[in-house]
Amino acid sequence: MNMVMMVARRLLHAFLLILAVLVLNFFLIHAAPGDPADVIAGEMGGATEEMMADIRKTYGLDKPIYVQLGVYLGRALQGDLGQSFFYNAPVLDLVLGRAGATILLVTTALLFAIFVGTSLGVLASHKPKGIVSGLVTLVSVIGYSAPIFWTGLMLVILFAWVYPIFPISNMFDITKDTGFFGYILDVMHHLVLPSLTLGIVYLAQYARLTRASMLEILSSDYIRTARAKGVAETKVYGHHALRNAVLPVVTIAGLQFGSIISGAVLVETVFSWPGLGTLAFDSILARDYPTVLGILFFSSVLVILANLVTDFVYRLVDPRIRTGG
Amino acid sequence: MKKFGIMAAAAAMIATVGSGTLAQAEEGKNGGTLVIGTTQKARHLNPAVQSGIATAVPGTQIFATPLRFDENWQPQPYLAESWSVSDDGKSITLNLRKNAKFHDGKPVTSEDVAFSLQTVKDNHPFKSMFAPVTGVDTPDANTAVINFDKPHPAAFLAMSSALLPIIPKHVYGDGQDAKTHPANSAPVGSGPFKFSEFKPGEYIILEKNPDYFIEGRPYLDKIIIKNYKDPTSLALATDKGEVTMYPFLGTSKDIARLKKSDNVIVTDRGYEAVGPVNWLEFNTKNEYLKNKKVRQAIAYAIDRNFVVNALLGGTSKAATGPIVPGSPFYAANAEKYDLDLDKANALLDEAGFPRGADDMRFKLKVDYIPNGSELQKGVAEYLKPQLKKAGIAVDLRASPDFPTWAKRVSGHDFDMSMDIVFNWGDPVIGVHRTYLCDNIKKGVIWSNTQSYCNEEVDALLLQAGSELDQAKRIALYNQAQEIIVDEAPIAYLNILPYHTAYSKKVGNPPMTIWGAMAPMDEVFLK
Amino acid sequence: MTASDISDVVQAQSPFREAIRAFRQSWAGMLGLILLIIVVLFTYVGPFLYPVDPFEIVWAPLTAPGQTEVAPLGTDYLGRDMLAGLIHGGSATLFVGLAAGFITVTIGILVGAFAGFYRGAVDEALMRVTEFFQVLPALLFAMVLVTLFTPTIYVVSFAIGIVSWPTTARLTRAEFFRIRSLEYVNAARSVGAKNSRIMWRVILPNALAPLIVSATLTIGIAILFEAGLSFLGLGDPNVFSWGLMIGAGREYILDAWWSVTFPGFMIFLTVLSFSLVGDGLNDAFNPKLRER
Repeated sequence: MNMVMMVARRLLHAFLLILAVLVLNFFLIHAAPGDPADVIAGEMGGATEEMMADIRKTYGLDKPIYVQLGVYLGRALQGDLGQSFFYNAPVLDLVLGRAGATILLVTTALLFAIFVGTSLGVLASHKPKGIVSGLVTLVSVIGYSAPIFWTGLMLVILFAWVYPIFPISNMFDITKDTGFFGYILDVMHHLVLPSLTLGIVYLAQYARLTRASMLEILSSDYIRTARAKGVAETKVYGHHALRNAVLPVVTIAGLQFGSIISGAVLVETVFSWPGLGTLAFDSILARDYPTVLGILFFSSVLVILANLVTDFVYRLVDPRIRTGG
Repeated sequence: MKKFGIMAAAAAMIATVGSGTLAQAEEGKNGGTLVIGTTQKARHLNPAVQSGIATAVPGTQIFATPLRFDENWQPQPYLAESWSVSDDGKSITLNLRKNAKFHDGKPVTSEDVAFSLQTVKDNHPFKSMFAPVTGVDTPDANTAVINFDKPHPAAFLAMSSALLPIIPKHVYGDGQDAKTHPANSAPVGSGPFKFSEFKPGEYIILEKNPDYFIEGRPYLDKIIIKNYKDPTSLALATDKGEVTMYPFLGTSKDIARLKKSDNVIVTDRGYEAVGPVNWLEFNTKNEYLKNKKVRQAIAYAIDRNFVVNALLGGTSKAATGPIVPGSPFYAANAEKYDLDLDKANALLDEAGFPRGADDMRFKLKVDYIPNGSELQKGVAEYLKPQLKKAGIAVDLRASPDFPTWAKRVSGHDFDMSMDIVFNWGDPVIGVHRTYLCDNIKKGVIWSNTQSYCNEEVDALLLQAGSELDQAKRIALYNQAQEIIVDEAPIAYLNILPYHTAYSKKVGNPPMTIWGAMAPMDEVFLK
Repeated sequence: MTASDISDVVQAQSPFREAIRAFRQSWAGMLGLILLIIVVLFTYVGPFLYPVDPFEIVWAPLTAPGQTEVAPLGTDYLGRDMLAGLIHGGSATLFVGLAAGFITVTIGILVGAFAGFYRGAVDEALMRVTEFFQVLPALLFAMVLVTLFTPTIYVVSFAIGIVSWPTTARLTRAEFFRIRSLEYVNAARSVGAKNSRIMWRVILPNALAPLIVSATLTIGIAILFEAGLSFLGLGDPNVFSWGLMIGAGREYILDAWWSVTFPGFMIFLTVLSFSLVGDGLNDAFNPKLRER
């Protein structure tokens, strides 16, 4: 009962948050100088006064702003995010069409960062003054300090141009007709460089975090007791220490979802990855307000979901909370 | 019957159905997929309500037009197998072919032609294209008579390429606004290729139309138009063979790179009708720029050679006036404003703007179209140190996106701005709009944003627009150009170096005056 | 004893002196400091030693480094001197980094302090606001802000600052919450010190350690952020910045790798120096973890 109450409360909380996001961004975007009729007129190649008035009427831009907000919210709650000014298509379709690509990229990058990062961190904690540890510090510091798009560009030059092992851009090759399995392989092939680029930044952080946590735990009483009791070293590492060390990594990863989406925007731009990032960039530049709102809304939802999931996982995994201590 | 010279056939033309429209067409082979790469994002696929390259390339494959043009500016039959013009030049009769069908099986009739013309007239931003049209008569299903209130030689070019796509009345006549009609993203036309899939911002897939009205065409099975984020990745993809045709290739570095490639042929043919000019426009209401001498001085201070050869890598040609050199109407004798800093400084002194204590005379802001990089931003940045030599301090004002820039310029809130404006074939369509007094329309981009008004020029342009005799037209346009260039409301810089890079496997690449903005029913893969 | 006496005593117990000593012993910190000094000198003294106008077109466009002494590090796509650009680009980048960092830290500390100190309804309300800003994807929101208003370095700094403060706020809140129940705070309260005094004169100085470390990281992030915005074409075009150079050079990357690599390297170096300094400070304030 307690759990259900908690979940319900969090969901309500999340809902209000999403509502706030929508309202604020709606006002913000409409506060901008310039209005969509200009955009559309420009995109059409120029328009007369009458045509612009016509455009404003078609998109409901001639109504007072509160009415527009009301209409927008009402429709949004029914799942209708409006019509894109630029693409003449429903925003929801556009967003959902691109969301998959971004989620794929972000998830792959995160999993890569978590697995490789924690592994490196564990290795490094084994010999804190050793080479691996030094390397971890070096790579983490470089990965963290280099601009992500720069890293991406360098990777493109090296592994897609000088040594053309990987494709330069895009998610898959539309011109190939290889059936489902071939398609999956093609996507995976295209996924390597972008997820590597995005993942490096976080891999760096997780490696260092894991190393630090491991070191702290390894010098704790709990571990000393286990060792004294004669528990095998691998079990000490794998079973006891690692489980506790992974926790902060997973927690942070979930909480960093928002920042990862931001990073994805830059990576998607470098690799022409057809995800929400590139859609957002194009829509922002085109003053395609409904689409921008739709993307901000959708990514906020993703972040909130990620937070909820992380919270949940944390409560499940953290022994202290579980035992109520 | 009147003679039109280059512009139209002298009398009724008999159709030669099934023959190629290119002067030299190779023998084609069936099959294959052509992959076209582009950096332009299409909003949707209906050029009747949307101008621009992004819509024109797919649009001209999906929709057929009454006429099409070859590489010598000669009109050829297309949906109209023949046509004739009345003696007074005020009506054109189109005889439509009887076997043309829309992709959904319904026949293309004169009703569709009338409907399409009205749709374009109401919704397309190029108002001058069909402004003189008073109506279209449809005496029978295969005859359409277009009536004008004065002779309108521009009509021929306006009935080709992406300017008058014949859209199905039975789809668009349902009362919905043509500009936002859902069919725009999944259109039904009668062209050589039919719509298959459209993923906005990513790709467009078109498939062969098995019932195309020209026997044995198109050769290709499929055309895929693929979006790329930037010209460099697209150029790389073309070099690697991922893309088999890259039209509107315009960045000097990529042109150079692809010219060096063994797999790719690079040509500058196919852009004669587009006539894209890169220029610097002046707001003649500005306190300094309202003075003709100041404008001329700036024109003399800019080293067009440096722009063309150094900044743009020698890939583009110089533009010296409102009409591009490739057009029959180009005036070769107007003032070219070659670099002359002494003259520039002298003119500024004469105009009454001496150098001040800081060695500067006055300051001007320059705007430019964002994301137009070397053509726009690059040149704008070059103006800073270059105009300094004439004593003019230049500040760049960046617009974060296209709408901001468009709003500023169209709202006449600018001093001078870089711009790119296309001729679109006949001067009536793309050139008049920049100079006519009654086209000074605040809020409308690519109108007469310079607020330039010269009654003599107006008269000349309007006369040339309704003059059927080609030689007389040329003379009138020459006169107009000389005056315009002398008054310098704009400093003309260069023609956009549009090239097409295509794989050696491509046969009959589209090289009529409209280039890739024309049906590719003759294109095949070797 | 007055409250001010108490706070004086509290100051004397601060770990700053030991921290400085510990910092000197941290190789990361010292390396970072040296790098930072180099970058600062390059940026602020450089213009006097190499007074070339970065906007001036000096040679043929896209000349490689080492080909001409007029442009030792090559030229960009307009023919402007890369070295001049690098030297002058630093001040804008550093300005944005520091300005944005300042905004972030100020808002973050204010929000976090009030939330952590007052708890209850104030905390709830402030945390909702914080969560709201945390949920918005930072770069996207900053892009929207910058496009809505003209992209000048002030707008850019503001936009970055306003999306980055949540982390600082949370950190501050945690620290304030931890410290407010410690002995010396109770002591101050018992002497009748006002809340504001306790917050700013007693708690804050003791919370400074992790906040300073976080601040250095924040500045690094702000610099990367600015680079990202400029790369996307949303920076201030009238001011030379390293991010802008990368964005401008991006189209020519395969023909002129130097136009992207050099400014990228400078950004990397600067952010690195801040990271290392932050590392060093972290070591200094947490000697325990230095035993590796």
